[in-house]
Amino acid sequence: MAQPVTTLGLWSEETTTVGQVLGALEALRRPEPMPATRTSVMTLVIIARQRGSALRAQEAIHELGGHHPARVLTFWLDPDATEGAPGLAAQVRLLGGETDGKELWFEDIELDVHGAATGYLHSLIEPLTLSDLPVVAWFVDSVPSADDPLLLAADVLLVDTRQLSDDCFPSLASLIDRRPVVDLSWVRLQPWRELLAGLFEGPDFRPFVHHVKRVGVAGRFGPRSLLGGWVADRLDLPDGSVHLTQAAPVSIRLQCEDPSGGTATFEVARLAGGRMVHARADVVGGPTSEAVLQLPEATPAWGLPDALSRLERDPVFESALRRASP
Amino acid sequence: MLVVFGASGDLTARKLMPAVERLARRRLLPTAFSLVGVARTAWTDDDFQTHALAAVKDAGPGWPSVVKTFSYVAGDYAEGDTFERLRTVLEDIDRAHGTGGNRVFYMATVPNVFASVAGALGAHGLARRTDETPGSFVRLVIEKPFGHDLPSADQLDRDLHAVFDESQLYRIDHYLGKETVQNVLALRFANAIFEPNWNRNYVDHVQITVAESVGVGHRGGFYESAGALRDIVQNHVMQVLALTAMESPATIDAHGIRDEKVKVLRSIATMRPDEVAGNVVRGQYDRGWVEGAEEVGYRDEEGIAAESRTDTYVAARLEIDNWRWAGVPFFLRTGKRLPKRVTEVALGFRAVPHLPFPEGMAKGLGPNALVLRIQPDEGITLRFGAKVPGQAFRVRTVNMDFSYGAAFVEESPEAYERLLLDAMTGDPTLFIRDDEVDQAWRIWDPVLEAWGEADAPLARYEAGTWGPAEADALLAQDGRSWRNP
Repeated sequence: MAQPVTTLGLWSEETTTVGQVLGALEALRRPEPMPATRTSVMTLVIIARQRGSALRAQEAIHELGGHHPARVLTFWLDPDATEGAPGLAAQVRLLGGETDGKELWFEDIELDVHGAATGYLHSLIEPLTLSDLPVVAWFVDSVPSADDPLLLAADVLLVDTRQLSDDCFPSLASLIDRRPVVDLSWVRLQPWRELLAGLFEGPDFRPFVHHVKRVGVAGRFGPRSLLGGWVADRLDLPDGSVHLTQAAPVSIRLQCEDPSGGTATFEVARLAGGRMVHARADVVGGPTSEAVLQLPEATPAWGLPDALSRLERDPVFESALRRASP
Repeated sequence: MLVVFGASGDLTARKLMPAVERLARRRLLPTAFSLVGVARTAWTDDDFQTHALAAVKDAGPGWPSVVKTFSYVAGDYAEGDTFERLRTVLEDIDRAHGTGGNRVFYMATVPNVFASVAGALGAHGLARRTDETPGSFVRLVIEKPFGHDLPSADQLDRDLHAVFDESQLYRIDHYLGKETVQNVLALRFANAIFEPNWNRNYVDHVQITVAESVGVGHRGGFYESAGALRDIVQNHVMQVLALTAMESPATIDAHGIRDEKVKVLRSIATMRPDEVAGNVVRGQYDRGWVEGAEEVGYRDEEGIAAESRTDTYVAARLEIDNWRWAGVPFFLRTGKRLPKRVTEVALGFRAVPHLPFPEGMAKGLGPNALVLRIQPDEGITLRFGAKVPGQAFRVRTVNMDFSYGAAFVEESPEAYERLLLDAMTGDPTLFIRDDEVDQAWRIWDPVLEAWGEADAPLARYEAGTWGPAEADALLAQDGRSWRNP
């Protein structure tokens, strides 16, 4: 199991350059006894507009411990900092962790960028990336435009639509043509999708999958839209058959009616405050089916290990996203 | 005895003094070691010693006592008196320290005085040939550039050979002093698993990248007359290429390695003028953002002509016409103001003859590659396909990494430290022989000639990018692409 990371060395400077940051990394590693460099498996770039968002993302990464060790670059883009002369402040930490008894070393670089340089972050990212490893750009509270030069420096984009504004879907849909997009909300919705699909197993339930008349999805904007988009896309439902409502936590309910007048409901929901997801299929006048799935603990890193293991296009997600976009 | 010409210059302060200090700290200098600086600057011994002390930051406690023995001769290289006074100083040191007439002359000067200084050393009895001095040695270390084309390199050789034997000449290419460059030899010839695949049967193509994020800085005047091809490709890149492509030497010594390097360089055909445009891209950077700072275009740099057509970027496709490499393109590129500083050699391997996985199972699978990372983050990466854990059978490219920092506790010597010691101990293995220089110029002279034409193409690229679109097209025409290291 992964253990929490510990700080082995720290360096910071109010006015600095990329060359000095790289020099500081080397200097921090040098006194360490043995595996001083490449135990990272990716470069993870956190881009945040709010300090709190950046800190939550860092907390999630640190929670992973030695799993997915990465060189982490955190950019906090203070909107007031776009004026004035370009400048760079940096804090570099050398971190140690342990996974299954194996020691790992990785780095955490926090960069405060000022002035016009905030529009050219790719020029800061490229020299700080590790060769031959994927570069994952995690936009924790915003969505870049499709022509953002940052995309040049990233192999994969990571977002969490649960944290984004309600108008993010068209922007995300335009991004998936340029780079693979991995959505933490989508990853966390996997139990809902698996349970819902499982409810249609068996001869008593399967026929209803072709006769879905109405879908209700409740939840926060991102998850409910994706879940609704996924169902509409996979079942080829006409526009207007999915009804979305604001609620928490996420639930989905399908109402079906076959040509002979048989009706059934299929529902997957998590009770507020609990970590169990309940699924129930109910054919009126016929059989019922139930399933329960335990969710992992709701820590900042929930879904992150899975998301970081899927650094490639997901056609099912992309179709759901397109269908969910207005 | 180390005699440094250009002793008040930048190279001496930045590279030679730190190298001497590290050698002293590691107790690798002979007890009778002495250093004599020669330059035009009107310094005294004390001035030179103060300069030497200041040149080394974080020096060990013994450095002041080493520096105390340094001497200095101020004078013009064109005046015989300078060399007469130098001879007197050297003879005094011989008598005082018992250095026995052993000398390593180091040319840390501008290249246009190489020949005249060598001639003056001969004229004033300071450059004895090897057979005239049994039991002692005189060597001459020369910094690049070794000429600016084949005729000028040949002329320089004739001038040097008029005074010194080839065995006394140590032409420095500091890339050869890097541990990771030398490791190319270890990787290839100390392992049974790589060499059988190191040929046209398995290798699809080779990419050699020497990227710099810096611009020309204050070297504008020099760079205008040199350019990236002369500054980097003709020497550093060709040396790395030769080590990557050469046959196994019978022995790892000066003759064995240099003979094989020359053989592989001879296997590269001389381009015809009409072949240059299709195989070599010349580029020059425009304004752009690098490492978070907005940088001016090359033509706006200090000391650069407004209409300059000097190459700050070169991409080239070479073929090695021999049994091992026939049909395997070697793609080379170097440039200034690229996104990051990195030097690497990447061998891209051919695809398997038949992929038994449906398309969906192997969509994350790229070609196998072996990447030799020379700087920074020194090490080796092998890229290969592996099954993604889980119920589904999906294959994705993964990396297996070897890191120098992780594998060895020993601190690597700096390139100049290694090469300076080799010159003093008389091991020329990592220095360049005259025929290597000739072969490298023979390959690139037609390109320089073609670029001299008024209508020769010059591609533009934005600072902070990986080069001009024309360089991408150079690989795209064969269905390949550059790596982003």
